[in-house]
Amino acid sequence: MAYDGKDKVLEEVTGKSYEFGFTTEIESDKAPAGLSEDIIRLISAKKEEPEWLLKWRLEAFAVWQTMEEPNWPHLNYEKPDYQAISYYAAPKQKKQLNSMDEVDPELRRTMDKLGISLEEQKRLSGVAVDFVMDSVSVATSFKDKLAELGIIFCSMSEAVKEHPELVRKHLGTVVPTRDNFFSALNSAVFTDGSFCYIPKGVRCPMELSTYFRINESGTGQFERTLVVADEASYVSYLEGCTAPQRDENQLHAAVVELVALDEAEIKYSTVQNWYPGDENGKGGVYNFVTKRGICHRRSKISWTQVETGSAVTWKYPSCILKGDHSVGEFYSVAVTNNAQQADTGTKMIHLGKNTHSTIISKGISAGNSHNSYRGLVQIMPSAANARNFSQCDSLLMTDTSGAHTFPYVEVKNPTAQVEHEATTSKIGEDQIFYCLQRGIDAEQAISLIVNGYAKEVLNQLPMEFAVEAQKLLSISLEGSVG
Amino acid sequence: MDNAKPQLMDRPKAEAKHAASETSGAALVSALDELLGVQADVALDAVPVPHRRVERWKYTPVAAWWKDVLASEVQTVAAAGCEANPVPGLDAYRLVFVNGTFDAAASDLPVHTGVMCMPVSQRGDAPLQSADAFSPEESDWFAGLNGRYSQEGLYLRVAQGVELDRPILIHHHTCGAGVFNVLRHDIALGLNASVKIVQWSTAAAEADGAVNVLTRADVGEGARLHIDKVQDEEGTVRHIAFEDIRQGKASQVEVHTITVRGAWVRNDLAFRINGQGAHAELNGAFLPGEGEFVDNHTTVDHRVPHCTSSENYKGILYGKSTGVFNGKVFVRPDAQQTNAYQQNANILASDMASMNAKPELEIYADDVKCSHGCTVGQFDSDALFYARSRGVGLEAAKAMLVHAFIGDVLKGLAVTEVRLEVEHRLAEKHGWDVWSDHLNDDA
Repeated sequence: MAYDGKDKVLEEVTGKSYEFGFTTEIESDKAPAGLSEDIIRLISAKKEEPEWLLKWRLEAFAVWQTMEEPNWPHLNYEKPDYQAISYYAAPKQKKQLNSMDEVDPELRRTMDKLGISLEEQKRLSGVAVDFVMDSVSVATSFKDKLAELGIIFCSMSEAVKEHPELVRKHLGTVVPTRDNFFSALNSAVFTDGSFCYIPKGVRCPMELSTYFRINESGTGQFERTLVVADEASYVSYLEGCTAPQRDENQLHAAVVELVALDEAEIKYSTVQNWYPGDENGKGGVYNFVTKRGICHRRSKISWTQVETGSAVTWKYPSCILKGDHSVGEFYSVAVTNNAQQADTGTKMIHLGKNTHSTIISKGISAGNSHNSYRGLVQIMPSAANARNFSQCDSLLMTDTSGAHTFPYVEVKNPTAQVEHEATTSKIGEDQIFYCLQRGIDAEQAISLIVNGYAKEVLNQLPMEFAVEAQKLLSISLEGSVG
Repeated sequence: MDNAKPQLMDRPKAEAKHAASETSGAALVSALDELLGVQADVALDAVPVPHRRVERWKYTPVAAWWKDVLASEVQTVAAAGCEANPVPGLDAYRLVFVNGTFDAAASDLPVHTGVMCMPVSQRGDAPLQSADAFSPEESDWFAGLNGRYSQEGLYLRVAQGVELDRPILIHHHTCGAGVFNVLRHDIALGLNASVKIVQWSTAAAEADGAVNVLTRADVGEGARLHIDKVQDEEGTVRHIAFEDIRQGKASQVEVHTITVRGAWVRNDLAFRINGQGAHAELNGAFLPGEGEFVDNHTTVDHRVPHCTSSENYKGILYGKSTGVFNGKVFVRPDAQQTNAYQQNANILASDMASMNAKPELEIYADDVKCSHGCTVGQFDSDALFYARSRGVGLEAAKAMLVHAFIGDVLKGLAVTEVRLEVEHRLAEKHGWDVWSDHLNDDA
């Protein structure tokens, strides 16, 4: 059964132009298109930023101007015109609907399938939320609890104003402005993002998520996240959401920096479901993200990602294992359908002694999509007894999709042990036959097999995310039986 | 799908030219133009001169290439003072090239029905195979150099159904200083033909310069081609070798690359599988010692359904040496039922050695079985302990492990005498007495 691209829920939902989302912007609050020093000064002024940050932005801009957009990824897309983008817009107002009846029924069906609670559905679709359940009040109560422990969790703009010493100390230390084209761009123009600080010895009692501050302000297309876990602390951070997200900003260039000080642990989970464009990939989001964490002595950073959206994904969550005995992990499921393209993977840079890293990457390609794993495992001469295990598997659903693997292994220490293995295959006909025999239809069988295939990664997600992510996988692949 | 046209995976990635490299490259080209004369009008400005920002050359330093190139003197084996047959006991037809010139006295050409085997310079009007859009000349600057300057090499045509009774030994020898030894071998096998070729490269201890060898083979339907490639070059010769192999239906091609010695070695194998039921086998072992550099690049392009390929490269790195492995498997959209396997295992035997591996898969068809594995590690301490607790010295125990580690690659060599000589030379280079016990086993 070949993929026909018709009468499937997700196709219908995502194929439509988005009628229900945002109100048109007010011209006066929007900076003119283009990027220049003046625009950066404008952004900085609007956000009432201190002098040092403006200077930092301008330096990043100067570096960015000397850089070229990378063309090494295995991606084929029209490069955005960076002078045609408006780099500052006031936070958008969501149009308030009066009841769930006004919500697009197809969107509702998708959300029902995902098992999103009614309240959550209302919030996501912009329905005025019941006063008692107002997420702001919920968020506030959480915030009090976090404050008691000394945990700082706020927007980047707030952090710049209220905790400048922390921000200044860590901002740009993991992803330097000149790291790459997109990180330089982000450093110059980032509008907002999240900041999180966990004090010494504190174990954050809940999963931190951007959910909680959804009503505060839109984070815009150039998001900057900084998570600092002080000595012997622990935090689990969730980013994104499983419900389909629309955004008129085609280009997203975010930067995420994690700092795990001695004996700290950071678990960073992402579910990405940006608008992937129509069947031909038109209008989908370009997701160019730089994510990197630095591990100090005996610390651990664990990245888990479920990537199902975006027309083009360029994303390599990485770990610099600087401290002795530090651990880096990367678990990824990337699903591409229709004309989506993903070039994603990780970098594990071993500097400290006895550092360990694990990479599990599961790619699923359907439709006419292309899914690439690109990874680097680098063992520097100082990294005695370093250990890495990498596994990247690809599942092909159709004969017009592609699965590619580009692993780089660089070893400069003889005591290191590095293993990489990769396989590519399709869903076995006998597996499907087995399910059919037992009364499980083809669609469900695919969902079952795919979820089994991705289980190693899904298991790493926090509980509530994992359930939704499983359903998301099934929906993303609806109608793609190869 | 029209496989004759470049597809998505062939789309050129505009790679930046590096000003300093371009200048060095241009200087080399103008020196060579003057010395050797342009043999074929191959333009070199379409591809960047290699430097570390060019993906294919990321790990491979080429600075040594830009040394002065002097006139390569016409040399013969006698003048060079090397033995005509580097493989004792091997009963083979021989073509000997010294500094890129054919040495008729040291050679022994086959006289065999259905076989045309001669140096390129003696082929008369017979045409050589031309490069096409997929040939290395189009994607690599050094292959372009070969295309521009090569004038000598093996010219081999084997007619339908002919099985050559003895292997053909091609011996490249380099001696003297500032040598530019450029050769192109042109091979075509007819239906069901079969031939074994041994490519043996040596260089004198005082030799200095560059070797650039391109082997182009068109392997017809059902034909079999085995190439055993051995590189054992002393001196400071930079060796770059390209294989451009096109396989027809149900053909079998095996290339075994063993690098015994070489200051700077790069092997670049490209297989194009154009006929169903074909099998490609690429094996290699490299054991660079102090200061040596070995790079193995391979590309297997599966263009049609029902083909298999298998790749196995083993590296052991000693002293301050560097190894590179880059394996690429393409499976084009129509190449269903492909079964491709790729394996690269490496041992770092010293603190200063480093290994860079990049095993790639690019797959555009769904009903395929493709896998690759890559490891970098060290000698198994349990195995060493086992041997030592039984009275085997540490170095001897390591030598035994090496023998086991690269054993499957050595076993694959098509010609037994070549395997024995390779083992002998490796043992001599590394001082492994223990190996001599194994030399004549299961010969």
